[in-house]
Amino acid sequence: MSSIPVERPALQAKDFKSDLKPIWCPGCGDFGVLQAIYRALAGIGRPPHEIAFVSGIGCSSRIPGYTTAYGFNSVHGRALPIAQGIKLARPELLVLVAGGDGDGFSIGGGHVAHAIRRNIDLTYIVMDNQIYGLTKGQLSPTSPRGLKTVTSEYGSLEAPVNPLLYVLAYGASFVAQGTPADMAGLADVIEQAIRHPGFSFVNVQSPCVTFAPEDQQVKAQRGRMKTLASVGHDSTNRLAAMGLAQTYGEVLYTGVLYKDPAPQPTLDALVRERQAKLALEAVPRERILDMFLQK
Amino acid sequence: MVPRTIDFATLSLQDALDLAILVEEEAKERYDELAHQMELHHNQDVGGFFRFMVKIEGVHEGRLEHRRTELFGAAPRRVRREMLFDVEAPDYDDVRANTTPRQALEVALRAEKKAHEFFTRALAAVKDPAVQALFAELCEDEVEHAGLVEQQLSRLPPDPVIKAEDVEDDPVAH
Ligand SMILES: Cc1ncc(C[n+]2csc(CCOP(=O)(O)OP(=O)(O)O)c2C)c(N)n1
Ligand code: SF4
Repeated sequence: MSSIPVERPALQAKDFKSDLKPIWCPGCGDFGVLQAIYRALAGIGRPPHEIAFVSGIGCSSRIPGYTTAYGFNSVHGRALPIAQGIKLARPELLVLVAGGDGDGFSIGGGHVAHAIRRNIDLTYIVMDNQIYGLTKGQLSPTSPRGLKTVTSEYGSLEAPVNPLLYVLAYGASFVAQGTPADMAGLADVIEQAIRHPGFSFVNVQSPCVTFAPEDQQVKAQRGRMKTLASVGHDSTNRLAAMGLAQTYGEVLYTGVLYKDPAPQPTLDALVRERQAKLALEAVPRERILDMFLQK
Repeated sequence: MVPRTIDFATLSLQDALDLAILVEEEAKERYDELAHQMELHHNQDVGGFFRFMVKIEGVHEGRLEHRRTELFGAAPRRVRREMLFDVEAPDYDDVRANTTPRQALEVALRAEKKAHEFFTRALAAVKDPAVQALFAELCEDEVEHAGLVEQQLSRLPPDPVIKAEDVEDDPVAH
């Protein structure tokens, strides 16, 4: 490590790297996502002890442990409820949530809609590899039709969930997509997502090198990906975003798909406001028993 | 936001040296990560080669640091690691659990060539003559390093033919 001092005591990507070394398969897309998260967090500049990083279960859900933030590698599909609870109880924390497409859109799928409608200020990063990685390659909710896996020997008959359309339709106020094939672009959208007030969602096409097919790997992505800037997309237009989101699974768009130009107040802010208001009218604790006994 | 691009036109010699140090630091750390990945998957030969590359990149980094300190002492650094993405660091995607020693050398070769491309592109934008001289020198270094790796490659016998089904879990999605 260099001994030359850095001008300002700004946090660096390496400040968010824990001593735990990732045990993902060599080549896994999640390595690049982790690097992008380190860089995004350095850009945000909040120290690790002010960050809570929650995940479910899966290969991708290991990610909080590889950071120096407070981590909670929780229960399969339940990262969002836990993260929402943390944010409501400790609104001063920056809350990040991560997991796989199985964690988020299969077992945990029901929670996504409610996290969106509540609009609690957190950032949800889904490592969408279109497969169950940790449990050795079964179909996931985003697996393309026809995919042959251990659970679909003759090819999947089901249509995949479209995560981008799903969150846009429920009213998410920030939706982006990235890939480790463009780490700078990915770091950028994650940082923007964190800065956005309210529920923000980043779908990361993070390939599983062990169980997913060749055409989903980073090399194939490089030939296929298209930045949203290059197609002149207006990220303040939800309907235009939904139009582009329809191409999920065919075109790999990267960048910010939708960003509400006038975001609604977040639930955590509204709760704090109400708490402050009610505190003025609140009866002192010691008088509550008296009131009860008088009645 | 941290700038994620570098304005080569305005780069001073001090910044350029710091940048070159950070490029080596990034490569060194990546080889260390890759070595750990290989060791975890009982691929000791390739793990050993990546450990060797950690040392090599460390030597390059040390030389540049020495020069920087001689010229600019402990003047604070103005460029940041966050501005760099895989300049000389091999791509994560380039390595698999069953990477062979020959393939590992090819990984290193691609990484050296990538760094050469980076400094060549930068050279076209650089204005300061001292920075131009440094980047030209770094370009030459990368060519030399690539040559050394190519020499090693030419000494290795070809990889044995291994069928995908011998190493993959079955059935893999397709
Ligand atoms: C309640 C419960 N059901 C099922 C499992 C088994 N399980 C663990 S991870 C996983 C899916 C992993 O896929 P994904 O969430 O997409 O993450 P990835 O491993 O691909 O990153 C499953 C089904 C579990 N741990 N808990
Ligand atoms: S099984 Fe797939 S998702 Fe899991 S670590 Fe390996 S490559 Fe990554």
